[in-house]
Amino acid sequence: MDKSASTPRITSAYLNSYVNKNVIVVGKVIQLRGDEALIDADGSVTAHLNREAHLSAGNGVQIIGKVNPDLSIKVLSSLDLGTGVDFSLANTVVEISHQHRDLFV
Amino acid sequence: MAAYGSYSRSNYGAGGDQDAGGGFMGATQGASSQADKSKYADDTLRPVTIKQILDASEDYPGADLKIDGQGITQLTLVGQVRAVQPQATNVTYKIDDGTGFIDVKKWVDAERAAAAADSDSEHFAPDTYVRVFGRLTTFSGRRHIGAHFIRAIDDFNEVNYHLLEATYVHLVTTRGAPGGDGAASGGGGGAQHDGGGDSMFVDGGDGAGGGASRARLVNCSKPAQTMYRFLATTGGGEGVHINDVAAGTRLSTNQVAAAADELLGQGLVYTTIDDETWAVLDY
Repeated sequence: MDKSASTPRITSAYLNSYVNKNVIVVGKVIQLRGDEALIDADGSVTAHLNREAHLSAGNGVQIIGKVNPDLSIKVLSSLDLGTGVDFSLANTVVEISHQHRDLFV
Repeated sequence: MAAYGSYSRSNYGAGGDQDAGGGFMGATQGASSQADKSKYADDTLRPVTIKQILDASEDYPGADLKIDGQGITQLTLVGQVRAVQPQATNVTYKIDDGTGFIDVKKWVDAERAAAAADSDSEHFAPDTYVRVFGRLTTFSGRRHIGAHFIRAIDDFNEVNYHLLEATYVHLVTTRGAPGGDGAASGGGGGAQHDGGGDSMFVDGGDGAGGGASRARLVNCSKPAQTMYRFLATTGGGEGVHINDVAAGTRLSTNQVAAAADELLGQGLVYTTIDDETWAVLDY
């Protein structure tokens, strides 16, 4: 299959490099404001949620979406991960996945 | 206890309606009895990302697929279910782990499928994270996984764990165990497991010549050690250019330059055709 099938895992620091691309972000929901969520993924990320999203503040979340030019994310799919998420592990995985790109993207 | 035992046995005889464990064991034995005996002895269970499966190479069309030059038999992967297609003989899941998509076929136990309520509960809903154990098969040019067993993941950290484990196994097979010296790829130095410094034999036990170098290498930074190992395994007499070192070790060029300064200072490498090309100093 081709390269477009992959969805890189990123943290807020990588948003810049992935404008208009689909990405996976794992982070903690800081704030919910209508259909907008503020997510901490090694730095804050603004996410524009779709209707199906069921997030709760304080929980971990995985969002898959497209990075807008203003570095917010248009969410295509979101998954509530509950409270037991090790965020430093998630951030480490992002770093590792960028160091060993041939395994991940 | 005796009463329970006889109850479950009679039930088994009548309907064959046993738990998932029974089905899984049956599938494994069926597969292994067909497989070549010598292959069965080499069976491994390797954690992989889907991209690794899609990138797996074959030496010639129809040959066994290989990842990192190693034959693959059983695999385990973790991903999200994207689509479910129940069919008469199997359920096909499209699994996505962020690195690619692959079809996973879980064959339906014919006897158990009769109990419709039971088989319904086995389908995993879209978006659930699952762990798959299975075998890679190629059918009319398309790769898919024949799953022995699929289970849902309850703790999301297992997803990250799996990605790290897959990376770890990849690195061990391509570069050798941590602290070792690239056992898999090391043409020059097969048994140089003293480089990491956690061995009793800091200085000895090496192949020809490199003992003193290895002892000094222990005091160097991680990037310097990585670079030294890379040079030792790949470099010829003309040395390796900074860009090739950076590409081969996945260090940035700045890190390589710093590592080279360090190694030069230790007298472990020397510059060859220009200031940015180094070779291992062997004596």
